[in-house]
Amino acid sequence: MKPRSSPWVQGKWLLGATCLIAALLVKPVQDRIDARLHRASIDPDILYFSSPAALKALAVGYDSLLADVYWMRAIQYYGRRAEAARRQVKYKNLPALLDIITTLDAKMLDVYRAGSTFLAEPDPVGAGEPMEAVRLLDKGISQLPEEWRLWFDKGFVYFWYLGDFRKAGEVWLGACRVAGTPPWMEPLAARALSQGGAIETAKDLWRRQLEGSTREDIKENARNHLASIQVDEDIWTLEFFVEKYAAAHGAFPARLEELVHAGFLNYVPKDPSGMAYQYDPTTAAVRLSAESKVHYLALPYNYREAFKERLARLYESSRQQKK
Amino acid sequence: MKVLAIARNTFRENIRDKILYNLILFALLMILSSFVLGQLTLGYENKVIVDLGLSSISVFGTLIAIFVGIGLVYKELERRTVYALLAKPVHRWEFILGKYVGLLFTLFVNVAVMTAGLGLVLAYHGGVPLLSFLRLLPAVYLIFLSLALTTAVALVFSAFSTPALSALFTFFLWIIGHFNSELLEFARLTKSAAAEFVATILYYVLPNISNFTVADSRNVIQSAAYFEPIHAAAVGWATVYAVLYCTVLLGLTTTIFSRRDFK
Repeated sequence: MKPRSSPWVQGKWLLGATCLIAALLVKPVQDRIDARLHRASIDPDILYFSSPAALKALAVGYDSLLADVYWMRAIQYYGRRAEAARRQVKYKNLPALLDIITTLDAKMLDVYRAGSTFLAEPDPVGAGEPMEAVRLLDKGISQLPEEWRLWFDKGFVYFWYLGDFRKAGEVWLGACRVAGTPPWMEPLAARALSQGGAIETAKDLWRRQLEGSTREDIKENARNHLASIQVDEDIWTLEFFVEKYAAAHGAFPARLEELVHAGFLNYVPKDPSGMAYQYDPTTAAVRLSAESKVHYLALPYNYREAFKERLARLYESSRQQKK
Repeated sequence: MKVLAIARNTFRENIRDKILYNLILFALLMILSSFVLGQLTLGYENKVIVDLGLSSISVFGTLIAIFVGIGLVYKELERRTVYALLAKPVHRWEFILGKYVGLLFTLFVNVAVMTAGLGLVLAYHGGVPLLSFLRLLPAVYLIFLSLALTTAVALVFSAFSTPALSALFTFFLWIIGHFNSELLEFARLTKSAAAEFVATILYYVLPNISNFTVADSRNVIQSAAYFEPIHAAAVGWATVYAVLYCTVLLGLTTTIFSRRDFK
């Protein structure tokens, strides 16, 4: 019988131990190599075929699957905010990715709808390319002409992101010819054509986006826009009454609550997340609190003066009534 | 000594293989054709020659590593020569290591022949000083390391599978090895802890061939084509990785091979 400590057994143990040590060392060595790679990385961007038609030919019948894969890639590309922030142009390849997806599978309605929002939203939320959004929606309309939502979205891009209210009204009017378009589209078009730029129309549009969309990211975006509009209007209202208070008392109020005591307001509004607005009594500036949970998005056009004029008219008429 | 004797015989056996000569011939033809292609470009003639030359070394080297590697053990079993060999006082790990070293030496000679061919084309074309040519050698060395790893992968499959399946498995692992970093990216992005764990484990377990094709975030062949130096530390860490990974694979091959019954 062979003794257990024979050179053969010793050799086996030595071999096993060597392999085990080597296996354990693979991870730290790989980490060292990775550390060298990440340090030098500067402009991470996505890899894609520049010709959607060529990619469609290469898909050899798996177009639909490849479209799904590219849609997932587009979502990741758009969703990785930290990575996008490191690029010189945040979402420069987004139009190309969306073009590839819609060439591979022209019937993906969500790609046109969500994709146009990703493209049209200004920095930091989106690519800030509203005309690319219009192009994508035009492609969608040519592929899915019976889909009124694409007309609605195109009009929305013109109205909100490009500030072209007349064009928005024309697009929505065009949508009225599509079967299945809801009855509110025609008054919406009429309102945009006659009173182009009314913020009430914009609020109505965002509410429709919030209620009508099935995608959570689109709903979230609509919620953020509605909250931002409310923040702007609250701040302008507070600033208006602070000026009125100063005119009546010769000094700015020390706290916003003094506007209520002075009878200008029934209550001091809070932001949509429930936080009080910050007020600086030396400059009379009102702003969103640093602790606020509101994801504020600046409006693409400023209607501050128009809003304050309207507020002044309402204020004067209410004073006249009291007299 | 036994390992070296087996390695010497493996090398002799390999150089008698016709497929080997065919592949080297193709590689040399590709390298020579780079000279013709270099004439078609406007500027960058030497870049075209180096790009095509190093790519040929890599592609044909990989083909040699796979097609010769998968038959290493299988051929011995098929011809029953392994019975005669293992009847002698030769340990199975010595047999595996000898086979591996023999094929590595074959690959080394092939890579050297192809590099010499590339050097001749560059020298004939002119405009590349000796120091610049020497800057290609770290790239050639990294290609050789990737071939060593591919050979070790092929050897593992060769120990328990048929050549056709071994070639397929090795080829798939070679492909995966180039996209390994995507696994890590997936692990970072996924919201499932289990998926992240599995993806991270796979990242370290699967061979990372990109360690030899990318050094310090720059493509190795691209750096070489511009005659830019490759950092010694990057080459050093890639070498350590190759040694460790190949040791594990050889250990695995020996374990599988030791469990086989040749009675």
